[in-house]
Amino acid sequence: MSPSTTNSPRHLFRAIATDIHFWIPLSVLVGGLLLLDKLR
Amino acid sequence: MSATRLRSLQALGIFCGFAAGAWLGGAEAPIKLVNPELSPITISLVMVFGVFLARWSVPALIRGTSHVRLDVRQAPHLIVWAVLAGCMWAVANTLTIYAIRNVGLSIAFPLWNTNSLLGIFWGFLLFNELHHAGWKRWLGVLGGAVCMFGGATLLAIASADQAAPGKAALGIFAALGAGILWGTMYIPYRKAYLTGMNPLSFITFFTVGELATMSVLAVAYRGATPLWHELVGARTLLFWLMLGGFVWVLGDLFQQYATKYVGISRGIPLSNTNQLWGLLWGILVFHELRGASQSVYAQVAGGSLLMALGALAIALSSATEREHSSWQDAAQREGQRYGVEGEYVRAGMEGRAYEAGSTSRTAVDWLLIAGASGVLAALGVMARLPRIDIAWGWAVALTVAMIALLASCGIALWRTTGFR
Repeated sequence: MSPSTTNSPRHLFRAIATDIHFWIPLSVLVGGLLLLDKLR
Repeated sequence: MSATRLRSLQALGIFCGFAAGAWLGGAEAPIKLVNPELSPITISLVMVFGVFLARWSVPALIRGTSHVRLDVRQAPHLIVWAVLAGCMWAVANTLTIYAIRNVGLSIAFPLWNTNSLLGIFWGFLLFNELHHAGWKRWLGVLGGAVCMFGGATLLAIASADQAAPGKAALGIFAALGAGILWGTMYIPYRKAYLTGMNPLSFITFFTVGELATMSVLAVAYRGATPLWHELVGARTLLFWLMLGGFVWVLGDLFQQYATKYVGISRGIPLSNTNQLWGLLWGILVFHELRGASQSVYAQVAGGSLLMALGALAIALSSATEREHSSWQDAAQREGQRYGVEGEYVRAGMEGRAYEAGSTSRTAVDWLLIAGASGVLAALGVMARLPRIDIAWGWAVALTVAMIALLASCGIALWRTTGFR
């Protein structure tokens, strides 16, 4: 695949959405926001 | 990559880790000048605004923003990672404020310093760090991190403000939450640098997530009108907070280069030496332990020694060629997933130029530099130095030491990688 094809928004969205490395920090961020809400 | 080049990049990354510790710790000094009655959320917001100014102007000054455009063209997905990391930083920083308020610094600091242990775990699990490293290096990194954790605990106990703890469980959760957020925040960092992104480009987008999250939190928690009144009322102090943010960015920049060249398992513990520098500023410049008992001084000496030994153990455990080839496997995996050119990824890992771009500054760069300088100068004119007993001799000595580290590490970065 050439970079122009693989850098298309659709491909990037799919690559990020199926990457476990994205969901780990995102889950931790959501957890942090929930904790912050409890602490208020 | 040749063995000589690998060794010089590893040495550079370790040097950057120590410089990061000095500048991240030094960032605490201007904040100590601020009235403690100011809301912690407001303090954090103004600091982040200073960080934002620095993160857009410093890269423009060092290399020009044309390099940022090149990085985005090659790896646009990294904008998402950088913004995500920025959001995490802002939430973690706010959690630390609640942690200190509820359980005091002595318990909170060591708890969120566990971020280095989590960083080692993520580095090993997700990015092949410490693979084929041998037991000596494992012992050096893990033993060093545990040693630093012990030292951090002693230092935090010695420098605690002895505030009466209330809502202890919530405070402990807040501190642990901050540690987990900061430890996990290094996943996006490592992801970006394995794919070849320049740290100067990464921090430019990181700060967008940081400022956006902090602004939303500040408005939601304080309310827009009370927040504005508080900012106007504290206008003589805003400069010191922004200066703290500016100094912090320089430390973070070194931390980013450390992460890039020695990985998160070594980079995070080394930059955690910031606690030592913060303590030096507190004791020598702001007389924080004046009149303390001998046992407190013994704790400080013991904690500092433990932290220094831990940092030394990690510094002496740099990656071998076999371990580095595992990093390259992880980088190749990233490149294939996101369709990044192999040569761009390799050039990034080796700290060399990918393609000859223009090194001259554009009008946009000069506008960014002038805008940031103008805001700081305007706030500097309004600033007033609070009446605090400051040991100016020590303040000058520590500033000179920090500048010496900045200059020597900056020159090393320029000569070895051209700030890549």
